This record gives sequence, structure tokens and C-alpha cells, in this order.
Amino acid sequence: MRLFRDAFRFQAALTLRSPDTVHVLVTAPLYTVVFMAISRHAHRTDLAAYAVLAPVLMSLWSLALLTAGDLISRERSRGTLEAMVATPASFPVVVLARITAVTTISTVSFVESWLVAWWPFGVVVRVEHPLTLLWCLVLSALAMAGTASAMSALYVLLPTARTLQNSFTYPFYLLGGILVPVSYLPEWLRPLSRLVFLSWSSDLLRSALSPAPVVDELPRLAAIAVLGAAGCAVGGLMITRILRRVRSTGTLART
Amino acid sequence: MRYLVRTSTVLRYSAANAWADFRASYTWWSWTFGWLGRMLAQVTFFAFVGIMLGDQAQLRYLVVGNAVMTCVVETMSVVASSSSEGRIGTLPLLSAAPVRLAWVFLGRSVQWPVSGSLTALVSLLALAPAFGVHWSPTQVPALVLLVPLTALSTYAVGLFLSAFVLTASGARNLLSNSAYLVMMAICGVQVPVDFWPSWVRSIASTLPLTHGLAAIRSVGDRAPVADVLGQAGLALACGVGWLVMAVLAFSLLEQHSRRRDAFDFGG
Amino acid sequence: MTDAVETRSLRRTFPARAGRGGGEIVALGGVDLSIPSGSVRGLLGPNGAGKTTLCKILSTVLLPSSGTASVLGHDVRHETLAVKRSIGVVFGGDRGLYGRLTPRQNLQLWGALYDLHGRALSRRVDELLERVGLSGRARDRVDGFSRGMKQRLHLARGLISDPRVLILDEPTSGMDPVAVRDFRGLIGELTAEGRTLLLTTHDMAEAEAVCDEVTLIDNGVLLATDTPARLAARLSTLERVEADGVADDVLAGLSALSGVSKAHRETGGRVVVHTTTPAATSEVLALLVSAGVTALRTVRPSLEEVYLHVIGDRGMLVSP
Ligand SMILES: Nc1ncnc2c1ncn2[C@@H]1O[C@H](COP(=O)(O)OP(=O)(O)O)[C@@H](O)[C@H]1O
Ligand SMILES: [Mg+2]
Repeated sequence: MRLFRDAFRFQAALTLRSPDTVHVLVTAPLYTVVFMAISRHAHRTDLAAYAVLAPVLMSLWSLALLTAGDLISRERSRGTLEAMVATPASFPVVVLARITAVTTISTVSFVESWLVAWWPFGVVVRVEHPLTLLWCLVLSALAMAGTASAMSALYVLLPTARTLQNSFTYPFYLLGGILVPVSYLPEWLRPLSRLVFLSWSSDLLRSALSPAPVVDELPRLAAIAVLGAAGCAVGGLMITRILRRVRSTGTLART
Repeated sequence: MRYLVRTSTVLRYSAANAWADFRASYTWWSWTFGWLGRMLAQVTFFAFVGIMLGDQAQLRYLVVGNAVMTCVVETMSVVASSSSEGRIGTLPLLSAAPVRLAWVFLGRSVQWPVSGSLTALVSLLALAPAFGVHWSPTQVPALVLLVPLTALSTYAVGLFLSAFVLTASGARNLLSNSAYLVMMAICGVQVPVDFWPSWVRSIASTLPLTHGLAAIRSVGDRAPVADVLGQAGLALACGVGWLVMAVLAFSLLEQHSRRRDAFDFGG
Repeated sequence: MTDAVETRSLRRTFPARAGRGGGEIVALGGVDLSIPSGSVRGLLGPNGAGKTTLCKILSTVLLPSSGTASVLGHDVRHETLAVKRSIGVVFGGDRGLYGRLTPRQNLQLWGALYDLHGRALSRRVDELLERVGLSGRARDRVDGFSRGMKQRLHLARGLISDPRVLILDEPTSGMDPVAVRDFRGLIGELTAEGRTLLLTTHDMAEAEAVCDEVTLIDNGVLLATDTPARLAARLSTLERVEADGVADDVLAGLSALSGVSKAHRETGGRVVVHTTTPAATSEVLALLVSAGVTALRTVRPSLEEVYLHVIGDRGMLVSP
């Protein structure tokens, strides 16, 4: 736990200074402007909550993936991965903690997004179920960290995946129903999208902002947790495999 | 005349440099599945917003707007690739050469509007029909001309911006992405320009995307040829205007750097 | 005949960087420098002496704060284009090349930037590749080149416009000895063609090997200019005498002479006597000969010793 906390702090300090973070915190409100404009133009004030939430999930996802993509491979290119492996610290925990720091910071964009809806669009998005919102954000940040740690391991095992890093954004925004609920997707895509934790997060976040009572709250939270844990487990397994390779070959030669 | 020959030689070899960079960062495979796939997904994402709104006209508006937007997204990479020059350490050498910096940089990133035009055309011609936006064979040539016009005139905007981050490469992604998001918001991509207050509209009217996209929409609406040409002319004029601004910005940058020693080998 | 490079009271200051308090950094403090056409001038000084600043000003990349500088009679401040066309610039290190291009493509691009095109350009590129020995690698990407190869390409790049004046800022920094030797060979050819070269370095051996004249610079001030040999001779007062088979009483006698700053015996038994005036040297020699010592020689200080002496004791030599 202490290791987790230290790694978390380290990454938080790093992330706060990183241009990627500034980037996400600047672009999130711009996305809100775009989405708010669309809903306002279509006279669909009911979609304001959607417009506020989508940029938050986009920041969460893209910042986590950027960090994950860089994290292991940067350690490797610096040659510090081998050194890190040599420390007694559990490496998967370090990776997880560092990505969690990033995802936590990115939830700040919720505040930004909310403010943009208020000014210039004059829409006060009410949080009808604050506890649901809070729990959902926390679990989503953790699930995101789990998913991202799997991604970072994937990049190391399969360097070509790195060139596809760009394409891990919008397809997942679509599958994750972050702006358009999954129910609008074609029938055949829906089961697939249910495997992406984002689709549960986005639905539940929207419920948290809607006056209607939240149904099935616990099972839905559980779904986020389970999918996050699955990502985490896969990531942990893969990282362990990478480490075994480092130990046996002494290096992580590019495959 | 001599100046033209010289400048075109500079542009040509600079473009060869651009092409080499492009070849080094993409293979056909990774361009098609990595880049094109991502951009098509972005168009699809906004198309589903149209489906959610449940209105065919809205859907069409969003699909066309976002398909054209893809070329802008890619074109704005000029900001990042220009600032790579600082990393390579060529700025002091370029500055010592008897040439206008702007011409070097104009050729240097031309891979982006070219590749962006391709992406946008694939989006318009291959993806848009899936959402009910069809083109007749007579409309296609117009698109093939108007999309590159939009991309190249927007390239001039990107070139102008890149002069400001040439020596501050930390801000490059921030600037290029913010620039394209602003264009996405105000240039008639998602909502008509009229949606915005007048001061926003006047900014939008200086941006080539506004007019290029309007021309493309006119083609789609089978508007009179004069309308299309009028909008295309405005896009071109804006593009030239931004190019002039870019040339000025690069000269100012060079003068500034001679005073302050801003061009270094970087790190 | 005007000098190829001429500066008058050339001064350049920078605002002090944050954290160092106010004030300014004087990178060049009123430099007067003349380099005759067709000569190789070394600019020798430690890191931070102001060498790069001078090179940047001469290559129009940086403006002087005050004073003037001209290249082939063209003022660097006002006749920028003419200056740019008459100089070639080679900054040291292996940066500044396009790694994803081949050497040929690199040179084609730079040639285009220096007004060359068409047949003339390709002829020039071929010539230069041949000259720096990169013809065989003309189709490979520069990324994979060794430091020495990159540096040779840099030199070719600097020569693309066939400049009369070449400014080389620490061109051999980071090169291995073989590359340095080849590089010096190329420099020799360039001088034979009558070009004027300004070469900065903090390496004495390099300055001694390739320069007609050397200017010592430190803290933005020129300390001395002369041929490497005469620069050393100007310090002939610092001559020293080495002798073998000197008896202890003779050594004591030597130490007692006025004009001998130091006389001591090295571990091998050899005696080394440092003198401060030519007269003292004669006296030392006379005393040694009369004592029957035959294995003796006088040693002029190397440029390195001069350099250390001047930089180490700035009071000695201030007239350039
Ligand atoms: N852009 C700059 N800003 C502030 N100080 C500078 C700048 N460039 C050079 N200097 C300072 O000017 C002095 C001379 O630098 P330089 O010409 O690079 O020396 P050299 O090339 O001989 O090592 C140094 O003290 C250096 O720190
Ligand atoms: Mg230097």
C-alpha cells in the first residue's frame, strides 16, 4: 500500500507537470462547447448532461492511454526498466499506481465541463444523485487504470500495437457510449460494447445526472468493477510475463 | 521569374523531406488501419450523434461536416512537425541560409494536407453513403477538387500557428489540437455558423474551412455552380491571406531570434 | 585587399538568466578581429569564452549588441543576404541533419536553400559526396551514420554554396581520432583552394595542426593573435632547459642564478630549469656546459602551455 502511495505521488507530480495533462484539461472544455452546441442547436436540452459527461470520459480514456503507452516503453528506452525490475517493489503495483494517479487527475475535467455548460450556454446541469456520481467516477478511474495497465503491457509485448495507439480512441468512445448511449448502436455491436467498462460508466453517469431514480445501481457499479479488475488481472499477468522475460534474457530486446 | 524557380526548388526538396518523414512514420498498413481507421471512427462517432437526434437532415449535416473535418485534423499536424525542426537542431543553419524560412516550412509538412485530403475523400465517398449521404458521379470531381483546396488553405493557418511554437515545442500538440477543436466548433462542421454570436461568426469567416466546407455542402445540395465557385474562391482567398500572415510571422520570428538568440541546437 | 572577416568593437550581451540575479552576461566584450583572405584562423578558448556567439554573429544568426562585423566587406547587420551567400557554416556535433533523408537528399535540400537548382545542383552534390567520401553511402539514411560520417556530411553541407569563407564551430567535437585526422586533411584541401576559414576549438593540438594563426579568447575578450609558433615564441621568456647528468652542486648553482624561476630534478634524474628571460637561458646553458654537461636541450613552450599560461594569468598578455 505504501508502495502504491509513493508511486501514485511520484506520477501525480510528473503528470501535473506534463504537457499531455495540460492538453487534456484544455481540450475537454472545447469538446464540451462542441457537444453543447450540437444539443442546443437541435433544441435538445435534455442532452446537456450527455454533453457534459462525454468530455470527462474522453479525458479519462485518452490521458490514461497516453500515459500507459509511454510508461513502460519510456522506462525501457531509458534503460530504467531493467533497473526498476531489480528493485524489490512489485512492478505491477507501481504501474497501476502511476496510471491511477493520472486517471484521478483527469476527473478534474468534470468540473471544467460543468462550468462550460453553465457559461456560455447557461445550462446548470444538476447532479441528482451525487453519491452515485462519486462512486461511479471513482470506480471508473480505477477500472481505467486496470485497462490501461493491460494496454501498456500490450505495447511492450507487441510493439506494432503502438502504431495503432491513435485508433484506440474514437472506436472506444463509440463502443463505450460516452456521448451516444449504446442503445443507439446497431444490435450486433451491443454485446461487444458491454465488454468495455466505459459503456457501463457512461450509462450510470448519465443516470446520476437524471432526476429519475437510479435502477440497478449496485449491479451496474459491480459491472464496472469487474471489467476493471479483469483488465487489471490481464495487465498484471502480462507485466509479470514481461518481467520474467527481462530476468531470463537480461534485457527487453525489441521483438 | 528567377525567384519563382528558386522558391519552387526549395518547396520541392522540402516536400521530399516531408515525404521521407511520412514514410518513416507510416506504412501503408499502419496508415490504413491506424490513421484512416481512427478518422473514420471519429466521423462515425458524430454520425451516431445525428442518429440519436433522430433527424435525417441533422445526420447528413454532421456526416458531411465531420468527414471534411478529418482533413483539418491531419493538416494541423503541421504545427507539431514544424517544431520538430527545433529538436533536430537545424534552425540556426536554416537561419544562416539565404532563404525565407516560410518557404522551407511550407514544403516541410505538406504530407499532412495530402494525406488529410485522402482521408476526407475516403470519409465522404466511402463512409458517408453508409449513413445515407450519397453522391452522384457528377458531384465527385467537385469533391476531389474542393477537399484538397480546403486542406491546403487550412494548411496555411497551421503554418501561421507553427511559427509561434517553433521554439516552444512543449506547446505544439496543445496548440494544434485546440486550433482544430475551435474550427470544429465554429466553422459550420457540427452546427451552422449562424448558430454563433456575430463576433464568433466574423472569426469563422476568416477561416478557410468555413468556406471550403460551405462549398462542399453546396455541391451536396446541388446549389448553382456560381455559389460553389464563390465559396471556393473565398476559401482560396482566406488561404492566401493566412499564407501571407505565415510568411510575415516567420520573418518576425527570425528577426526576434536574431535579437534574442532563440534558435539553438535545442535538446 | 580587405580582410575576409573583420569585426570592430564587437559586443554582444545577453540578459542574465533567471535565478542569477539582474545584470547581463557579456558574451563578447568589444572584439576587434581581422582575418586575412585565404588564411585559416583558429579561435581558441575554453567553454563559455564566446566562440559560438562570435560564429553566430558572423553567420547572421545573431545580431551584435554594438560594434560592427563584416564578411568580405558586407556588414552582417544590414547586408544579411550578401553575407549569407558568401559564407558556409558548420556547427559542431552531429545534430542539424535530416536523419530520415539520405546524404544526397540532405545536400539537395540545402543546395536548394542556397540558390542551386537543376543540373548545377546535382553536379555539386555529386562532387561534394565524392569529396567527403560518402559516395558509397549516398543512398543510405543518415540516421545510421557514425558521428564522423555525419560530421563529414556537415562539412559537405557547409560547402554546398562553394563559399569563400567557412565558419567552423568546434567541428571535431566528439569525433574519434581517425575521423579527426581525415577531417583535418579536408581542411587542408580547403585552404589550398584559397578559402578563408575561421575554426573555433578548445583543443590546442587542433589549433596547432591546422591554423595559420591562432587567436586566444576568454571571457569574451581576445587575448592574443599570432601564428602558433610565434605565439609560443612570444613566451620565449618562459623557455626551459632540460639536462641529464647534472650533479647536485651544479643544480644548486643553477637555482641561485637570477632569472631562474625554478630548477628541480625529475624522478628520472633529469634536471628541468625554468627561465624568465633569454639572458638567463644563456647563463644557464653556459653554466651547464662549463660543468661538462653535454646532454642538454632548450624547450619552447607548446601552444598548450601558452594557452594555460595566458588563460591562467590574464595579466600577462592583453594585447591582441
Ligand atoms: N542565449 C544566451 N543567453 C544567455 N547567455 C548566453 C546565451 N548564449 C551564450 N550565452 C553566454 O555567453 C557566454 C559565451 O557563450 P558561447 O559563445 O556559447 O561560448 P563558447 O562557444 O566559447 O563555449 C557564456 O557565458 C554563455 O553562458
Ligand atoms: Mg561553443
